[in-house]
Amino acid sequence: MADPIIQLENVTKRFDDFEALKGVSADIREGEFFSLLGPSGCGKTTLLRTIAGFEAPTSGQVRIAGQDMAGVPPNRRPTNMVFQSYAIFPHLDVAGNVGFGLRRSPMSAAEKARAVDEALEMVGLAGYGRRAAHALSGGQRQRVALARALVLKPRVLLLDEPLSALDKKLREQMQGELRRLQRQVGITFILVTHDQEEALIMSDRIAVMFEGQIAQMANPEMLYRRPVSRRVAEFIGVMNFLPARVTASSPAGIEVEIAGLGRATLSGDSHAEAAPGEPPSVGIRPEMLTILFGNEPETGRVAEGEVREVVYYGDMTYYEIAIDGAPGTVTVSMRNLVNRPVLRRGERTRISWDERALILFR
Amino acid sequence: MSEWRSSEAARGLALVGPTLLYAVAMLAVPLGAVLVYSFLTDGYLTIIPEFTLANYAEVFSDPIYRQVMARSLGVALAVTVATVVLAYPVAYFVAFHVRPERRSLWLFLITIPFWTSYLIRVFLWKVILGYNGVVNATLTGLGIIDEPLTFILYNVNAVVITLAHAYAPFAILPIFVALGKIDRTLLEAAQDLGESRLATFLRVTLPLSVPGVVAAVLIVFIPTVGDYVTPRLVGGPEGRMIANIIQLQYLRLDNYPLGSALAVTAMAIVTVIAVGFVLSLRRYLRVRQ
Amino acid sequence: MKGRWLRAYTVLYLLFLYAPIALLPIFAFNDATIIAFPLGGFTGRWFVELGKVPALHDAALNSVFIAAMASVSATVLGMLAACASTRYEFPAKRPIMGFIMLPLVLPEIIVGVSLLVVILRAGLHLSHWSIIAGHILIVTPFSIAILSSAFASLDRSLEEAAIDLGETPWSTFRLVTLPLVMPGIISSLLIGFTISLDEFIIAFFLSGSEPTLPVYIFGQLRFPQKIPIIMALGTILVVLSILLLVTAEYFRRRGIRRAGGQDSGGFLG
Ligand SMILES: Nc1ncnc2c1ncn2[C@@H]1O[C@H](COP(=O)(O)OP(=O)(O)O)[C@@H](O)[C@H]1O
Ligand SMILES: [Mg+2]
Repeated sequence: MADPIIQLENVTKRFDDFEALKGVSADIREGEFFSLLGPSGCGKTTLLRTIAGFEAPTSGQVRIAGQDMAGVPPNRRPTNMVFQSYAIFPHLDVAGNVGFGLRRSPMSAAEKARAVDEALEMVGLAGYGRRAAHALSGGQRQRVALARALVLKPRVLLLDEPLSALDKKLREQMQGELRRLQRQVGITFILVTHDQEEALIMSDRIAVMFEGQIAQMANPEMLYRRPVSRRVAEFIGVMNFLPARVTASSPAGIEVEIAGLGRATLSGDSHAEAAPGEPPSVGIRPEMLTILFGNEPETGRVAEGEVREVVYYGDMTYYEIAIDGAPGTVTVSMRNLVNRPVLRRGERTRISWDERALILFR
Repeated sequence: MSEWRSSEAARGLALVGPTLLYAVAMLAVPLGAVLVYSFLTDGYLTIIPEFTLANYAEVFSDPIYRQVMARSLGVALAVTVATVVLAYPVAYFVAFHVRPERRSLWLFLITIPFWTSYLIRVFLWKVILGYNGVVNATLTGLGIIDEPLTFILYNVNAVVITLAHAYAPFAILPIFVALGKIDRTLLEAAQDLGESRLATFLRVTLPLSVPGVVAAVLIVFIPTVGDYVTPRLVGGPEGRMIANIIQLQYLRLDNYPLGSALAVTAMAIVTVIAVGFVLSLRRYLRVRQ
Repeated sequence: MKGRWLRAYTVLYLLFLYAPIALLPIFAFNDATIIAFPLGGFTGRWFVELGKVPALHDAALNSVFIAAMASVSATVLGMLAACASTRYEFPAKRPIMGFIMLPLVLPEIIVGVSLLVVILRAGLHLSHWSIIAGHILIVTPFSIAILSSAFASLDRSLEEAAIDLGETPWSTFRLVTLPLVMPGIISSLLIGFTISLDEFIIAFFLSGSEPTLPVYIFGQLRFPQKIPIIMALGTILVVLSILLLVTAEYFRRRGIRRAGGQDSGGFLG
């Protein structure tokens, strides 16, 4: 595989007495769509600005295309940024904004104009060049910011929560367009987001960050199916946790006694970290629990319980079910099908599950 | 950019440096010089570099100076109260009853008169309040009075009216700014909790606008104590204020030490009053919104 | 209901504010030497007379020169301080800025007196430059107030974007910062010019043999027969000030609009 385009080596960043980045290491590959995902305040923006050159690491190294970036100012880096506020120059029109970075380029005026037009066309704003900056809608501003960065053909495009200011419909549409654009231009995209769904939908790989550190770096599927810690599991999607006790452990498998589910044997690699001080627990995703309606035959192991809450979503129904012998409730999601009824509160039901869907947190 | 940030303090100081230096050279040093002069001895047309407290002794013992000082403070107090009380409803109206996009137009209308020749404005009050002035012409014309009023010009009343007019925008703007910062949902919350509009005003709006009122009071009170033009033009002999005496000492009698002592004393008294005023209201000034 | 009473009050208040100025044109065009009621006929002769007073022309030229120098210098100093105070944290920031803004509340006579003391003490002569020095001092706080709001409404990521797109810090200032605060600069120049043009006390204390316009006017107020001419002059000054202010306000608002901000009110706000 080619050398990574960006290498972060033990990057730390300290603001006065606050440590925003506590040793971040990562390799980001050429041409991939990479996301930095984490709750607000975890240091995503700081890391992105460190790559862009707006912050210098307190220690550690940032290499871009193999070159150490220490002391290289933002204007000399092969990266460009789409700012969270978009930072559209209000005194310039759309073409003036998109062509801003071409001022120093050796291209002729005609070539520059063509490059601007191409960039505008790429983001779906062909013909908008003479529009005043303040006459643009939120989505259009975002496209101008994209075109302005892409016209310079950077090696890496940095995007700081570019979609968070848009309403839901527009956001979903732009998610698709960004993904398409990234495939089309083949540039490495690094996206900062606090929205796990957005990260899962768009990325080739995701780094989940908590408190200035990367907790897990993986592709979306691995992240969802094999979270390395209970914290990551809770942050990505929904997961049920049931108290568990390890009764035997060998390289072949781990035997556990799970509240409400009984004994189970887990494969050696399906365990992850619990939070410090937490007792061991077993996690299972809502869609891995299946309600058996009426006399449906059992397909795996079965537990019984009572429906405590029903949340109807149209395509899906979410149930809160108190499993006999387990504390609290678990969430179960069921797709609504033609022949499937919706259970009512208070009904008793059977739930089927499979050992292979379990993850042990200890 | 980290070099930028780590040296942020240095950059900030470097930027503010020239302006600060200018203020030190043209304000701090001269004020220091006035302070030094106030302790020197006056020789006719020269100044004898001998330390003395005689100037201050004269300032505090001469009944004329005491009277003028008291009058200056009294006039400034009256002007401040009149200006702020009259200005508050105007600021309130603009802040709460004018559509946001029209506000700057109203503020602009309010500030325009302030920017037109101060000297001529003061002189025009003389025209308004004079023996054959607008007020008297109107009142006699309407048959309300037979003889023109004389107590409205060349006395303290005229000074107060004129100054209250001159400083009006200075009072309106800070109060408007303070009122504008008040979160409207606080007022709705108070009414939701059962308060009438008046009680809401007294219990929420007024306390939250105190910072603006304090700013208005200071910005009106301090300069009016030292106003020269108004007492000179409309005050008459019994309307003279401290600035007129200071000017007399400096430019007419060439007694710089005594003039300096008068200036320093006036500044000291004003500072004490201002600081005392702010401290007495500091409970309201700490509110963070 | 309540709003209507307040509006009526505010309109009355505005009448009170405008009353003196409204008299200016009345007496400027009044065909009588005495400034009092009842009025005489209509005349334009006072404006004609204005053109025949060389001393007045000299004073006006002095004032314009002083106002130009003072407003330009104060705007430069104001820009430095406004930039520092809106962009940077530095030690003793509040006391430093407070001190620089002090002339806003200091009685002008104190500024005049103290400058007079040092200028004479230093053995210098009173000239235009002594007045300019004093005017810079009192205009700078206004410049800072205007330019601070210009700098504060400027989104920092605009400058970062320019650097990100390959510009140096200096070219970023030239291409992004300067155009965006330019309306504030123009507004500061105009306001500064207006303040200096109108300032009396400092000029009174610090003018040598060459008076400024207000000092000249003050001298003329003692001569009743000169008053109508002064009324005509005042009318012209008021019209000029309003023109300057409307222009300043226009630029201030354009600046806020350009920077994409919300208009919060007057320039002192
Ligand atoms: N310039 C700064 N000075 C001081 N603290 C900062 C600065 N920038 C960010 N921080 C702090 O660093 C932490 C991480 O910030 P940020 O990277 O913006 O988080 P995120 O983008 O993940 O929400 C926050 O607690 C923030 O308060
Ligand atoms: Mg962020």
